[in-house]
Amino acid sequence: MSDLICENYPMVLVMSRFGIALGFGEDSIGEVCRKNQVDAYTFLTVVNFLTEEIRAVTPELCERLSLDTLVLYLHNAHDYFLDFRLPHIRRKLLEAIGSCPADVAFVIRNFFDEYALEVDRHMAYEEQTVFPYVHALQQGNPDAKYNISVFSRRHEQIEQKLSDLKNILIKYYPGTGSHLLNSVLFDLFTTEEDLSSHTLVEDRLFIPAVLHYEKRMLKDKK
Amino acid sequence: MNTNLRIAIYESSLIIRNGLGSLLKKINGLPVVLSDISEGDSLGESLRIQKPDILIANPYLLQAHSLAHWREEGGNTELKIIALVSTLLPEEMLRDYDAQITLYDRAESIKQTILKLVETQEDTEADDEQQSLSAREKEIVVCVVKGMTNREIADRLYLSTHTVITHRRNIARKLQIHSASGLTIYAIVNKLVELDDIQQVKPQM
Repeated sequence: MSDLICENYPMVLVMSRFGIALGFGEDSIGEVCRKNQVDAYTFLTVVNFLTEEIRAVTPELCERLSLDTLVLYLHNAHDYFLDFRLPHIRRKLLEAIGSCPADVAFVIRNFFDEYALEVDRHMAYEEQTVFPYVHALQQGNPDAKYNISVFSRRHEQIEQKLSDLKNILIKYYPGTGSHLLNSVLFDLFTTEEDLSSHTLVEDRLFIPAVLHYEKRMLKDKK
Repeated sequence: MNTNLRIAIYESSLIIRNGLGSLLKKINGLPVVLSDISEGDSLGESLRIQKPDILIANPYLLQAHSLAHWREEGGNTELKIIALVSTLLPEEMLRDYDAQITLYDRAESIKQTILKLVETQEDTEADDEQQSLSAREKEIVVCVVKGMTNREIADRLYLSTHTVITHRRNIARKLQIHSASGLTIYAIVNKLVELDDIQQVKPQM
């Protein structure tokens, strides 16, 4: 497991979203997953997907994937963005733009808050509608009026505005630069990437897996 | 690519010239205007008159001078020149060409060869293009930031909504800002508006 993290450090976020803490010693990925009661197959699928070892899901893969584990992963990622990442960037950003003209600082703060609200809404929908649906689906009594294609159609990217902010700071920031502002910029870059790969996991892994499950249930009923 | 691509073919064989011409015309998604230059004609003069974007030529017919010479002669230093290869040719003869088409190329690969040339052309144009906003674009930014709809902006500036949308697309491309609230920051930083002008309006999402 430590080899995986050292080779590709963003995987530390993936690991923690599966509920695995640091300090796992010499254990292999399989052992760490077992000790943390994480489905190793799902863990590896997400890792391989993010490192682009897997590009498209196959029916066999969907069959073995644990939807519960995947939902847990996505849910923890939402918590991470909403409760940690965005507030953390906000604090740093506000401090960093403290020296710039008041009106500029005001609109930048507005922009960020508006964006955070958008992300909140986006993820709240998944938490309150999509995940309960998937849970009910696995219990065998899904909401007949809903299916995962509804989600797949309305699911949008959420990192575009972050990229706007990044470009604004790079090209038009009026104050003097600072180490802190550079650090905010780095955060924006990594968060943009992180959000975009999060969306990708939902679009290319989660949705197809749920779709597969829906189809199998239909077949079983016949 | 919206406009027709002007392609001139310079080749002595009538069969090859016409064959390539009719093939190019049939390629979907590649609108072309063709012209022929036969061996007897003066190449430089023909290029000056026809002003092609791309010249597809038999390398033997050009070999008396460098490609740079022909571009100069034709009055277009940006002219792309593709070698039309019908026999085995020494490599150094083909080295300077922008691309090659051989007699056995399939339609699809010819299309790709040509598109590739045109795309890089458009890219460099985009790079050279002025990235700062025009006066008109700035006016539009101000309107957007104040929360006006495309319709309202069109009425105010006596434009069609279609034009307003085109302007907005260009603004987004130049600034790399795609949201109204992002434009607000841009407008404040560049002093296009005062905070008071926009406090009342809720920027559209």
